[in-house]
Amino acid sequence: MPTTIVDPIIEVKNLNLKYSAKQALFDVCMDIPRRKATAFIGPSGCGKTTLLRCFNRLNDLIDNVSVTGSIRIQGMDIYDSEVDLTALRKRVGMVFQKSNPFPKSIYDNVAYGPRIYGIRNSRLDEIVERSLKAAALWEEVKDRLHESGLGLSGGQQQRLCIARAMAVGPEILLMDEPCSALDPIATGKIEELIHTLKDQYTIVIVTHNMQQAARVSDCTGFFLLGEMIEFNETPRIFTNPSDRRTEDYITGRFG
Amino acid sequence: MQRHFHEELDLVKEKTLKLGSLVETMVERAVASLVDRDSRLAEEIIASDEKVDALDIEIDEDCLRLLALHQPAASDLRFITTAMKITTDLERMADQAVNICQRAIELNEEPQLKPYIDIPIMSQLSQKMMRDALDAFVRRDAGLAREVIPADDKVDALKNQVFRELLTFMMEDPRTIPRAIRLILVSRHLERIADHATNIAEMVVFLVEGKVIRHTSKEPH
Repeated sequence: MPTTIVDPIIEVKNLNLKYSAKQALFDVCMDIPRRKATAFIGPSGCGKTTLLRCFNRLNDLIDNVSVTGSIRIQGMDIYDSEVDLTALRKRVGMVFQKSNPFPKSIYDNVAYGPRIYGIRNSRLDEIVERSLKAAALWEEVKDRLHESGLGLSGGQQQRLCIARAMAVGPEILLMDEPCSALDPIATGKIEELIHTLKDQYTIVIVTHNMQQAARVSDCTGFFLLGEMIEFNETPRIFTNPSDRRTEDYITGRFG
Repeated sequence: MQRHFHEELDLVKEKTLKLGSLVETMVERAVASLVDRDSRLAEEIIASDEKVDALDIEIDEDCLRLLALHQPAASDLRFITTAMKITTDLERMADQAVNICQRAIELNEEPQLKPYIDIPIMSQLSQKMMRDALDAFVRRDAGLAREVIPADDKVDALKNQVFRELLTFMMEDPRTIPRAIRLILVSRHLERIADHATNIAEMVVFLVEGKVIRHTSKEPH
């Protein structure tokens, strides 16, 4: 790798993943920097979402998935048999392409996670408010917290999902094409949000929109056919990539 | 992201102005090193050129990064490409100032050939052109930019005047030839500085109006 990440929060070593017989990730090695935004780019089927879903072991839910190699988060191997998956998914939150608020009130959406951990009353109110503020949604919903989350616009729903993920205090936020279903203004708001969230959270975002990766991320990894081709600081990738394949992709010569 | 991007654009503008200010000072002091016969000043200015070169590279890198990372459009895009070109012109103007200093050092080794009259005037005119072009850039004032362009004719006229006058010196007395030629070169360097200021002004019109007026015959103002 051209860039050495000092103090990485996630360390991936020799990761191979197979869906039954089909191999989707080949010997991936990378370090994700702490409290920065890292983007995964690459054409459809390149493995970027597959890798993202390894970080919170969401791939476990798929039958016949086999994983070799290691992923360490804060030095801890997340595939170790002793790992508590719920605790992992609290530390590593995720938002998806299609926002999926619960069919509950805005308040209850955000409060759902903390409630499970036994948090109640004024402390719960605090957490809900703080999370909605952190997701840049508070001003828009503070007077209607008991209305259904499903009544919000697409962009607001996505921010609600981000607030929900943040309510349980994660260190890492995974975002799988979070803006694909949103219009440019809503997209801009989420990108602006990512910019502010970086101060406190580590963000890993999968996007098929290269320009978005260029705008929001500090580091970018380019994937092709299950391999990580190049990983470097974003300005470097977009001004002078080292690998020909990266250059061909970002200049639109294929994919 | 837009807010962040526009902050970065402002930074590019600030750096370009800083570069302009450095170069303006270099030109002013270069001519002073000639008129006041101060070779030490000339050496100082020559040394300061490396700051200009460094800032030129820095601004270029900033602009490249902004283009790569933010895909700007319309006037933002024109702003960045204009800034890149203006920076190039400013860097060349600094090189011309260095050339003037080198001529000054050479001229200061011999007695002054004649009172310097036209050259200081050329210098003032060029400096004003540069200042106005940069003001126009900052304020996005196409009107001010267009006023710079015809001022170039006055500088050209003075250059020709200097040439004719020094030619008579040289024809009368060959011993004046080294000094006369160096003074003619100084007038050329100043004339080039004025040309670069004109380029900057033409780029500002492009920035503001999206209209290319470079390389066309001078438009009336």
